[in-house]
Amino acid sequence: MGEEKNFVTAKQVTSGMRFLPTGSALHKLSALLTLLLLIAAFSFTSPAFLSVNNGLTVLLQTSVIGILAIGMTMVIITGGIDLSVGSVLALAGVVAGLVIKAGVPVAPAMALGVLAGAACGLVNGIVISKMRITPFVATLGMMMIARGVALQLTGAAPISRLGEAFGLLGNGTFFRIVEMQPNGFPKVIFPGIPYPAVLLVLTALLGAYLLQKRQIGRHIFSVGSNEEAARLSGVNVDRTKIWAYTASGALAGLAGMVLMSRLVTVQPNEGVMYELDAIAASVIGGASLMGGVGSISGSMIGAFIIGVLRNGLNMAGTSAFIQQIIIGIVVIGAVYIDQIRNRN
Amino acid sequence: MLDTHASTTPLVQMSDIHKHFGGIHAVEGVSVDLYPGEVVGVLGHNGAGKSCLMRMLAGAMLPTGGEIFVNGQRADLKTPQDAKRYGIETIYQTLALANHLDAAANLFLGRELKTRFGNLDETRMHAETKDALRQLNPNFKNLKDPVARLSGGQRQVIAIARAIYFQAKVLIMDEPTAALGPSETAMVADLTLRLKDEGIGIFLISHDMHDVFDLCDRVMVMNKGRNVGTFRIGDVDKDDILSLIIKGALPDGWVPRGRTS
Ligand SMILES: Nc1ncnc2c1ncn2[C@@H]1O[C@H](COP(=O)(O)OP(=O)(O)O)[C@@H](O)[C@H]1O
Ligand SMILES: [Mg+2]
Repeated sequence: MGEEKNFVTAKQVTSGMRFLPTGSALHKLSALLTLLLLIAAFSFTSPAFLSVNNGLTVLLQTSVIGILAIGMTMVIITGGIDLSVGSVLALAGVVAGLVIKAGVPVAPAMALGVLAGAACGLVNGIVISKMRITPFVATLGMMMIARGVALQLTGAAPISRLGEAFGLLGNGTFFRIVEMQPNGFPKVIFPGIPYPAVLLVLTALLGAYLLQKRQIGRHIFSVGSNEEAARLSGVNVDRTKIWAYTASGALAGLAGMVLMSRLVTVQPNEGVMYELDAIAASVIGGASLMGGVGSISGSMIGAFIIGVLRNGLNMAGTSAFIQQIIIGIVVIGAVYIDQIRNRN
Repeated sequence: MLDTHASTTPLVQMSDIHKHFGGIHAVEGVSVDLYPGEVVGVLGHNGAGKSCLMRMLAGAMLPTGGEIFVNGQRADLKTPQDAKRYGIETIYQTLALANHLDAAANLFLGRELKTRFGNLDETRMHAETKDALRQLNPNFKNLKDPVARLSGGQRQVIAIARAIYFQAKVLIMDEPTAALGPSETAMVADLTLRLKDEGIGIFLISHDMHDVFDLCDRVMVMNKGRNVGTFRIGDVDKDDILSLIIKGALPDGWVPRGRTS
């Protein structure tokens, strides 16, 4: 199966060559190739890696980082950065948990959680565009504020016993096939496609649609490409930036719902350093921290490279510390390759 | 002195414009007007305040004082969008294009064409861009490349095409040829005359005396933020203009050139 996939990429590479891919298409292609090579390598080293079950596990694990990476990519394309998503994810979870405890049903509570994330993003956007604080500093501040609020509201204690319905978003599946065995025990034929994976795909499609087909996406690219030119052309630069940070905040809120629901507990100290995985996913997928370049599809490939790396290294028994080191090297490598290509 | 236009209302009238940055007086009580089908050269040293004056007309900078009239009506130009609504378009030396986007995306930036469902209408934007660019330069290729890969002349053609497409009444050209080679400069000069013939009023900032004498009907010279003289091009020669630019005054004993000898 590994061979089959490699064959497919070889074909894509040649067809890509024929149409002379632009720099970013080439980057995406090499990222995809890297992903497939990783999959091939891990299937070789640990036989359990390439199974339906493990594939779905990777999908589930990647969904949170993937959802964060969608918002992060939009922000990075504007030439900014959002360091607050990991904390905002936790705060959104805390908001949802607290209102559920106050008697609000799960669905509206989760919507409130997402809104809380969006509100944090809105504040980021306003601080950056109206107060002219650099994105790095503004979102670093929000990172600490959101985490502080989350810990303060909960006294740093997890919120549990949120009811079965709270666990549905993170643990539910489509198309799960279970067969009753003669001995009376159920046997799982197909574990089902996790809701978070479906949510990731839907969010990614929506994100790509907004970036490629809508005016807001065009404006996001123009602001990152040349902010002054965009302004002089009549683009509302402040509004565009506020939009991007609000979207990133809302998606951080959504990722928070998925993660906390999977744990069926709200953990106010969850999501630490997730922003770095999201940034890494975007950058590996070809987004440029200088702005003006990036794509949702690339960032999804980037998210899966990180997800597969983590999962594969776990299965191979590599320690979490070594994993950090390897992912750090991969990020630097991806940016380095991008720079070499841009110099040519 | 300038009685030729006495009967018509000016397209643009800037009146007693001031712009201060803290203690710096970038523009000091400048008044200037512009009529349809006229090219007015805005000349002066670096730092004389030319760009500031034009940016205020383009809605990219707010005046500290003074009034702007368009077609005789007072115009409040707070944003570039406001200026564009009055038909005021601007071509900048370098800043005007988003490098990662293609020609069509740049031409329609901020004024994108949309389909019924509110999506970007790429097909129509590309078709219109192709038409607009081919009218100016039949050899225009690479329509789908990011404009970073285009030559300076091609990039300037996009900027000019944008002004024409959106039916500029007033065109501000801030050193449009500063980054161009000789043949591209000639092309831009040629386009400038074509636009003038169509009745567009043009403010041209240029340091190139050939351009100034070939293209302009009048010149306005700025020195240290002040307007030190507005003249019909026939009334001055190169030395007069240089004296205005450098000293802020005409040579001693000057008489209008057109009226002597
Ligand atoms: N945004 C700004 N902030 C502060 N000073 C400025 C700004 N823009 C221009 N200036 C100053 O105003 C003066 C006029 O500048 P400018 O209009 O660009 O001159 P020109 O285009 O004639 O070379 C210069 O002294 C310049 O330094
Ligand atoms: Mg200037």
